[in-house]
Amino acid sequence: MPREPLKVGISGVRGVVGRSMTPQIAAGWAEAFGNFVGKGPVLVGRDTRPTGEMVELAVIAGLQSVGCTPVLAGIVPTPTLLLQTATQDVMGGICITASHNPAEWNALKFIGRDGMFLDLMHSEELFDMFRQQNFRYVAEADLPIVRKLEDPLEVHWEKIRAYVDIDLIRAQGFKVAVDCCNGVGALSAVPFLRDELGCEVFPIHDTPNGRFERGAEPTPDHLTALCETTKDNGCQIGFAQDPDGDRLAIVSEQGEAIGEDYTLVFAAQQVLERHKQGPIVVNLSCGKLFEHVAKQHDVPVYRTKIGEIHVSTRMLREGSVIGGEPNGGVIIPEIHPCRDSYGGMAIILERLAHQQKTITELRDELPTYVISKKKMEIRSGEAPRLLRALRRRYEDKEINLLDGVHIDFGDHWVHVRASNTEPVMRVVAEAPSLAQADGLTEELIAFLSAPA
Amino acid sequence: MQLRLASFGLRGFIGESFTPKVMMDFASAYATFTDGGTIFIARDTRDSSPMMATAVTTGLLAAGCNVVDFGICPTPILQHRIAASALPIAGAVSISGGHTGMGWNAISLIGPDGAFLPPSSGGNVLDFYHGGDFLRATWESIGSLQTSAEYARSLSSSDNEQPEPSLSTPYFDALENLVDTEAIRKQDFTVVIDPVGGSGCGFIAEFAERLGFRLIPVNAEPSGYLPREPEPRPRSALPIASMIQHVGGDVGFVLSSDMGRLSLVSETGEPFSEECTLPILVDHFTTAQKGVVVTNTCTTRTIDDIAAARNCRVVKTPVGQASIVAALCDEDGLIGGEGNGSACIPTFSRGFDGFAMMAIVLEAMALNATDGLDALVHRLPLYHISKRRVYGAEGGTYQQLERLSESLYADPEGGEISHIDGIRVDWEDGWIHIRMSKTEQMIRVISEAREMETARTRRDKIIQLLNRLR
Repeated sequence: MPREPLKVGISGVRGVVGRSMTPQIAAGWAEAFGNFVGKGPVLVGRDTRPTGEMVELAVIAGLQSVGCTPVLAGIVPTPTLLLQTATQDVMGGICITASHNPAEWNALKFIGRDGMFLDLMHSEELFDMFRQQNFRYVAEADLPIVRKLEDPLEVHWEKIRAYVDIDLIRAQGFKVAVDCCNGVGALSAVPFLRDELGCEVFPIHDTPNGRFERGAEPTPDHLTALCETTKDNGCQIGFAQDPDGDRLAIVSEQGEAIGEDYTLVFAAQQVLERHKQGPIVVNLSCGKLFEHVAKQHDVPVYRTKIGEIHVSTRMLREGSVIGGEPNGGVIIPEIHPCRDSYGGMAIILERLAHQQKTITELRDELPTYVISKKKMEIRSGEAPRLLRALRRRYEDKEINLLDGVHIDFGDHWVHVRASNTEPVMRVVAEAPSLAQADGLTEELIAFLSAPA
Repeated sequence: MQLRLASFGLRGFIGESFTPKVMMDFASAYATFTDGGTIFIARDTRDSSPMMATAVTTGLLAAGCNVVDFGICPTPILQHRIAASALPIAGAVSISGGHTGMGWNAISLIGPDGAFLPPSSGGNVLDFYHGGDFLRATWESIGSLQTSAEYARSLSSSDNEQPEPSLSTPYFDALENLVDTEAIRKQDFTVVIDPVGGSGCGFIAEFAERLGFRLIPVNAEPSGYLPREPEPRPRSALPIASMIQHVGGDVGFVLSSDMGRLSLVSETGEPFSEECTLPILVDHFTTAQKGVVVTNTCTTRTIDDIAAARNCRVVKTPVGQASIVAALCDEDGLIGGEGNGSACIPTFSRGFDGFAMMAIVLEAMALNATDGLDALVHRLPLYHISKRRVYGAEGGTYQQLERLSESLYADPEGGEISHIDGIRVDWEDGWIHIRMSKTEQMIRVISEAREMETARTRRDKIIQLLNRLR
């Protein structure tokens, strides 16, 4: 069997259950986190994975042993838990989800008391505390008792109700298909769309058992069932969530998966047109459409490194009104500065209501840009040499070195960076046509594959 | 270090070395030993017990065990319940501070027959614990967690002919059959019971109802804070002793927080030594039946005298419930127990059972109704017993015992030395026993003689020797 490392990084601590993720490991991290945030209540929530209960129990025992009161939110969307951590008077939160990773994985994600994932600096301090394994345990008489958080979703729905025009959406009586990926959405997306937004809902993959009936990422190749459901039931739109409810992809009324990129584009258009003017913040791999939208509204676009926390932090700093990631992660800071598929569904339905157009029509109004994403396997340690070669090659161009090498050529761009999670280089290009975009990535891979 | 690993389980002091990881490792080792399967779990009311139950449960689930949670439940009721299980189970875990003070707690491992794991099996678990290579389930085969009520429902809704019984009903049904319930009911006893705020609190009312006595409960609110020393003995009997005459009680029962140990208080308010509990039971049991009596090497000689008078054989074992119960099974014994106030009736269950002990004492009182408990105890051939603890240097206590042994062989003062468990010297009028505690870092010295003075002199001599041999 190959070795399974525990992946510790900016997005938490991920492992394969039974190999690198064990109750002992989870409890150790909970103890380190408890010492890191200090004695007091800590929110704990999880997704629907079959291993979630086991990991949750380990986290509970670990938190208690260092004097933190576990406050259980149960099975909740990741954005709900982030929002609740900011809302409740707690020291922090632990989110038990491996997000879009396959079912054998589980993970702990650490939330600060501001309701945001720990940034790099705070994470490093937590990692140090874990590595030292010198935890301060409390005496028996000081052991806290587990509490439950009642009705965690209500605060989240309230935030969304306050932001969008609920009455307008309800008045449409939308027919909506939703693919919950057997995740947290199976418990919350149907009631949200039906009771809050007044939709007629056609759910699929809505058994909340964590046994994913489709690929966990809401990419077009995983959405054939949703495309059929949307078309067959005459729905205006189909929504696809990932297992922990932070990412959102859209299927058109014609049953076409239009790609995750458009979720954030539509959301940005709607926020800037109907809600508030302000900067857009996206990561480096987001397409040119954001420049297009920004130009229409005369607002700046800021770009960050890849990773949700980088986007969220920058948004707060710039006073941004909309931002996110091109993987279907919509962030509306007035709801909460985190990726939120529920806020995303509401804002897009609001756009449909205002525009009275179909998804296909809304997409066709926009200029065509096509993104080509490829990856290239490399030996570990090879990335710096390859990135250096690229910098030499484009010496005379304006190079953005924020995260790998990113070069903007006006009507197209390329982005090459080392992946945080796999031993690969990610090569992305965007151009007005697929042939052009693919040509760019293929040429780059050929260049990088040439011997040193 | 405040962590004690033994074959029956793991005892430690919360807030120090007894961490969730250690508890999980121990649970993982046990699950590796049982190779998965269904495991029952129960706990007492100590403040650390919920956290410990959580840590143990996740360790079991991770190995693929299906866990059935009985919540707060006395260890003996859990042990009896295992034996009554309609479906085979792999084992059980009881989490209880038992007789130890606040801050201490323990994980006890129970086999599928309801008995504490015998020493050899416990050794296997320890080997897995030390090896650290645990059984781990994949994500698809991770165990499920059910409450005992959900478990009972899931069994009765299947094709199973006999529905899984509720927790206390079959237990007290069996208890009613163990003793002459009618005789007890007729006496209209008034009984004071002090379960030290432990796991027995929720069960004594039903116990009273089944045996038809008036219950005066003391310290009977479930509580993580111990209202008195949890070890049943004369000085923990004070709450009962001070009030029993005023409420017209016929007997007072002082229990440990897991209902495994019992000491008695007479109707006159005299708190008896915990050493009297087993003799009362053996005396009563051997009047009607003949059989083997099992006890450890440091329990009062009263047991030997009673057994001799009734032509019953006595089998001696090392200290501990696991050893006593294993010998009871091996010898097909009648009754067994220890001088700390514990007893097991193998025809009823395979654990030290405070409810069974109370029921038998009540039966003995009912069948000798004219005398009362005070007379029952005082007509036993009693000795004087004196116990002391000697705290040894960490890691040096075994050497201390070895040197003591050498020095005793050099001058046994007319006694006979034996080594079943630690060191024992027997004289015509008494004995002294010196051994390492299995649960705490110390040496226990127990001295018994017909005259208190003799017992004390011998005891003090040994303690002086031990201190000199550090």
